[in-house]
Amino acid sequence: MTALLRLKDVTRKFGGINAVNGVSLSIEKGEIVSVIGPNGAGKTTLFNLISGFLPVTTGSISVEGRDLAQVPAHKYVQLGIGRTFQNLALFKHGTVVDNILVGRHWQMKTSVIEAALHFGRSRREEIAARERVEEIIEFLEIEHVRDKVVGTLSYGQQKRVELGRALATNPKVLLLDEIVAGMNQEETEDIARFILDIREELGVAILLIEHDMHLVMDISDRVHALNFGRTITEGQPEDVRSHPGVIEAYLGSGGAEQQAGPDHAKATEAAL
Amino acid sequence: MRSGYFKETVAEHINLTDSTLQRIWILIGLIFVVALPFYFGLYGISLITLMAISAIGAMGLNILTGWTGQISLGQTAFMVLGAYAYAISVESWGWPPIIGFALAGIVPAFASVLVGVPSLRLKGLYLAITTLASAFIVNQLVLEFDGLTNGASGIFVNRPTIFGYAFDTDAKLFYLVAFIGLLTVLACLNLRRSRIGRAFIAIRDNDNAARVMGIDLRAYKLYAFMASSFIVGISGALYGIFLSFVTIDGFPLLLAIEALAILIVGGMGSIAGAILGAIFLVGLPEITSAIFGMFGETAKQFLSTGAHEIKGLLYGLVIILFLRLQPHGLMGLWQDAKRAWTLWPLRY
Repeated sequence: MTALLRLKDVTRKFGGINAVNGVSLSIEKGEIVSVIGPNGAGKTTLFNLISGFLPVTTGSISVEGRDLAQVPAHKYVQLGIGRTFQNLALFKHGTVVDNILVGRHWQMKTSVIEAALHFGRSRREEIAARERVEEIIEFLEIEHVRDKVVGTLSYGQQKRVELGRALATNPKVLLLDEIVAGMNQEETEDIARFILDIREELGVAILLIEHDMHLVMDISDRVHALNFGRTITEGQPEDVRSHPGVIEAYLGSGGAEQQAGPDHAKATEAAL
Repeated sequence: MRSGYFKETVAEHINLTDSTLQRIWILIGLIFVVALPFYFGLYGISLITLMAISAIGAMGLNILTGWTGQISLGQTAFMVLGAYAYAISVESWGWPPIIGFALAGIVPAFASVLVGVPSLRLKGLYLAITTLASAFIVNQLVLEFDGLTNGASGIFVNRPTIFGYAFDTDAKLFYLVAFIGLLTVLACLNLRRSRIGRAFIAIRDNDNAARVMGIDLRAYKLYAFMASSFIVGISGALYGIFLSFVTIDGFPLLLAIEALAILIVGGMGSIAGAILGAIFLVGLPEITSAIFGMFGETAKQFLSTGAHEIKGLLYGLVIILFLRLQPHGLMGLWQDAKRAWTLWPLRY
């Protein structure tokens, strides 16, 4: 049985620094896995490796058994890797619809000449793509802003558009990089609901980088903790939360010693 | 504000027009264009022909610079190639003009790959300089292969006869140019609403995100180069026909600057902006001479002796004013006017 997404001893070096060091991780269809760790732990680097922004130094990443090293970066999306960015990366002069339509790009076949004529297949594809985009817009509850230029939208709405754009690529595994950062309680709950719905309805696996521990603990099937590029532990949310290595990473080594009492889990939760 | 219009099917979102009213306006516009030569004398017709040719060239550059965000100063190279492709195939070899026009697009499109490949990783100023170099290279090549191109003395170009119909008067030539212009507008509008146009704009706005969406940056930059050069090449052929003569002196480097100026003044990335900008900048010397005319005989004299310098000066001034005061160009002004009209008498 090959995993949907499998990272095997992945290492990425920047000069002498190991930003990601021997990380192994696998995720199955319909799973929600969170990657946590303090700032600089290598979480975003890990995402950049999976989505093809950076090549791995050693180790391998495979999707359904297919090694990503053999595939050019712009074709990762065809294997089913979709992602959102930590700092928004929308096409800011386009409308919401335009942005999400770009996500349909690889599933359309129209050539330049066909596009210029806008006839037959070109038109059929365009209408089909548009219909799918309308469904996504409805799903994410952003109908009222659909024709607005994304640059004029609020931060929370822009994040939703980015999620919609990633969904439009028809991903098998969705990488969400701090999607609720800077959101208020209500917006965060909306996003949590969307994430669970995406899993339920589309069977998409979700890999989440998140600092919002309530969200992580609530929706994750498994949590993978990193520090200085290395895996500290991986397991059920409750186990990771009370793992001494995780506490040390967040509070420093002194913190871990102090927490050795019976109430350490509670204290860690407060700290996290 | 327009009201009472709504869309029931997805296809209606994709169509270019959405109401009968809009179609009527387009029809009125077309009738106006057809009627233009009846109003103007010979000079006026040649002026509007030049406007139309410039608009075609600007729409071509708009694909590369306005949509894909790749600045190019090499447009004269592709105009020259288009003009020579037409002149050589039609005048020297006696091929039908319709094939000449096709070649005027195809030859620059493939030549642009040669310019495009080395500049794929370049951006901004570096790209501008690389494309500028291509203009010099093409001029040298034209001089070098004088067996084919007749070197510096150029090739005389007749007015074309297409399907037995001779475009032998200035008015008829204008109709030919206007028709090709209309086809260009349609092709650009279609590209704009397709996955190709969206990919171009995605590359301009955020190339990293574009790649994650599965857009092959290198391929699409080359597509943009090719589509742009195809249209620019045809505008070059039309310009050659308009001048009745194709030589490299007919296509000075200033044309490339002029094309960029048209886009800036019209509004980067907008098809209508490219057309408005062309009309405005080509018409600018006429407006100035009309204004100078009001100041009497000496001012007129001054203009006729220093016409070229004054033209250059005006271009510079207009570009600076637009960049400073209205970076979205004439289209930006139009949008502002529309918004003000919708909201009036309220301010926002």
